[in-house]
Amino acid sequence: MQQQEIHNFLLKYFEANKCELVQSQSGYMTVQLTEEMDKELMNRPFYWHYLEKTGGVPNPMQLTLITNQQQINGDIKGENIHFGSPRLHQIFASTKKLAGYIRLYEDYQGAPGKQTPLLPWLCINAKISYQCDRKRDIYQSIGLQLINGRMVTDFHDRMLKLPLTPKIPDYAFTLSPLIMPKSGVTRIENMLRTKISEEDHTWATEARERWKKDLDLLNHFYKDVENELESYENEKQALKEQFEPKIDISIINGGLFYLTDNAM
Amino acid sequence: MTVQINFDTSWQDELLNRISNDGPWGSWDLYKLALEVESHTIIPEFEGLQAPKHLSDLTPLPHQLEVAKQVVENMNGKAILADEVGLGKTIEAGLVLKEYMIRGLVKKALILVPASLVSQWEMELNSKFFIPAVAQKKSYVWERFDVVVSSIDTAKRNPHRDIIYEQNYDMVIIDEAHKLKNSKTKNYEFVQSLKKKFCLLLTATPIQNKVSEIFNLVSLLKPGHLGSESAFFEKYKKDARSLNDNEHLRELVNKVMIRNRREDTGIEWTKRHVETIPITFTKEEQELYNSIHILRDQSSGGPSSPFSLMTLQREACSSREAVYYTLKNMLQRQQTPSAEFEQKIASIIKKVEAVTTNSKAVKALELIKKIDDKVIIFTEYRASQLYLQWYLQQNGITSVPFRGGFKRGKKDWMKELFEKKAQVLIATEAGGEGINLQFCNHIINFDLPWNPMRLEQRIGRIHRLGQKKDVMIYNFAIKDTVEDHVLKLLYEKINLFEKVIGDLDDILTKLDFGKVEDHLMDILNQSSSEGEMKIKMENFTSMIQFAEEMTEGDSHAATGNT
Repeated sequence: MQQQEIHNFLLKYFEANKCELVQSQSGYMTVQLTEEMDKELMNRPFYWHYLEKTGGVPNPMQLTLITNQQQINGDIKGENIHFGSPRLHQIFASTKKLAGYIRLYEDYQGAPGKQTPLLPWLCINAKISYQCDRKRDIYQSIGLQLINGRMVTDFHDRMLKLPLTPKIPDYAFTLSPLIMPKSGVTRIENMLRTKISEEDHTWATEARERWKKDLDLLNHFYKDVENELESYENEKQALKEQFEPKIDISIINGGLFYLTDNAM
Repeated sequence: MTVQINFDTSWQDELLNRISNDGPWGSWDLYKLALEVESHTIIPEFEGLQAPKHLSDLTPLPHQLEVAKQVVENMNGKAILADEVGLGKTIEAGLVLKEYMIRGLVKKALILVPASLVSQWEMELNSKFFIPAVAQKKSYVWERFDVVVSSIDTAKRNPHRDIIYEQNYDMVIIDEAHKLKNSKTKNYEFVQSLKKKFCLLLTATPIQNKVSEIFNLVSLLKPGHLGSESAFFEKYKKDARSLNDNEHLRELVNKVMIRNRREDTGIEWTKRHVETIPITFTKEEQELYNSIHILRDQSSGGPSSPFSLMTLQREACSSREAVYYTLKNMLQRQQTPSAEFEQKIASIIKKVEAVTTNSKAVKALELIKKIDDKVIIFTEYRASQLYLQWYLQQNGITSVPFRGGFKRGKKDWMKELFEKKAQVLIATEAGGEGINLQFCNHIINFDLPWNPMRLEQRIGRIHRLGQKKDVMIYNFAIKDTVEDHVLKLLYEKINLFEKVIGDLDDILTKLDFGKVEDHLMDILNQSSSEGEMKIKMENFTSMIQFAEEMTEGDSHAATGNT
């Protein structure tokens, strides 16, 4: 992530969270946090607890974030933000936490007076991690239509092209799902499982080979050692945790989208 | 082949919850941002290093990046990092730890380091790597924090020990791991019983004396890599000193160990200038030195082992205080000392009392004034350290003491005092390890250690990455004493000072004929005449030189192959 991207990301984050920009220039920004954002980011529970007990006037903090030291005056004090900085990763985590679930409607302007039906879709954006002693991830965005069971990939990219709104538009109504969200999630899960199991898993075979090699060494080492059963079991367990290949599907976010029949 | 697939079910429970409560729903902007973040933080490849992108305040050197890459890609995260002193093993370990943390393979990490290095590690991990490491201060730290830095001596003791065993550490890092070369120690046993998923052992001196040391280190890291204990020692005799003797063994070790030499790094190092400063005893000092010989006579019943005799002689070259302290102890240790022994001691103590000046201290003062900059003085003896402190103070020079036995906080404080306030730091041997003082470039070796590794540790405190100036090393030696002999032999003939440890341990492990120290003891104590001593010394020197030439021959051969 380049510094300019980080800068833009931060602007969007604070805007989406309704924080006012006190100063914003290339290289830095000063943000007036809202009460919620102060609680979210500033880690001062005692202050907020105290205020609640005493009924004082809340005074949320201002935060100055510097994204490019070269572009600013020397007298500006603030936190340097870069891709590895703890503050940025805190904001990353906060973004994900605050936007885990969504419900949106296609903002379809049909002919006045004519009622437009919107079809329910369940979307799951997932991160799939392939893990042994190494790790890689891929990203999948799956949409499932909850009436006819149709499934599409790259769902999120398609959503980016549609006008969407959190309120159901006038002259639109939603169709009730035939597939319940719970079983919808299961369908997506099963689809991902099938898809993943058909992939090439050489990486896992190789990890098992590395595992076996170290395990053989371990067995050999403890073969003629007595009374060391605990150490042996310990080491054996460590090898399993280190090498055993597994795949974790974690969900970044998702939710319900109500779309016109033509949208997809 | 099937691989276990885990699907995160917690998300759907909350989804159903929100559907039935009709919200709350996240904002579309944040939702999009979250996915944008994910696309930036997702790591689509097993290979390659992510850590450097996350470290804005650190520009790792090429050899450090290469080490981190090797460890992650080819060594499955288990390695002995054995770069020479001062090449940045901490940085390499930090890179590996950071890489695993970014990739989510390590969450909990335990870092065991000498007590004197705890706060330095804590600071470097936080400031250079943005890893929220916490120094162990209270027993609850183990459970509450994910990355803990502690001294091994604290960690191995209860209640800590039991709590640590209950933690599920993903990574264990051990600095100065050569201290674990003996498998019979409590420290070794403690580390052996730790569950080690990913593990880094850091040491500049993986082998100091015997091949068995490397067996013990490797077996901590990867049991069985060098075979079982009995099989190993059947194949390689226990006392063998050279890895190079056995191509196969060396190859095996290199699979789990990375070692960079200074010359491999392509970095321009500042130079080392070595100056030997010969010093002449005063008449009284000479008499004290000579008088120690009377203890040599075994018939007097005193504890006249060659060792204590030699110790006294070496002490006499350092300060009268050091001699006095040892004599006192010798007397106390004997419950009923013979009258003859008591009398001998008394006569030496008389000589001690007769000494009025310390020639080395006078020289040191003169030199410190001339240098007019920060100086570190190393001495082997605590009594000399105390004396020097007093002596410098009398002459208006500010100094701070440094010892291995200092508590962590005190060490940090002394280092800071030295950096900001005092001109001189007076360190004893034990204090030599584990502090980095590259803001200073003058060392006075008030007396010399006989183990060349310890000497390298001393110099390594200042001749390391970050040292901007040439390093000046002044060696004090009193003419015609044991010290002089040792200096000539070890430090001049084999050029120990200009060399760095890499060549040195090659050379030393080539020495298949006993410990250097034992040889010296034999030469200096068992020789019945000066002549015999000289001849023995010559022989010893040529053996070392022979070993040295063989090492050079090896490296030429290796170059020829490529």
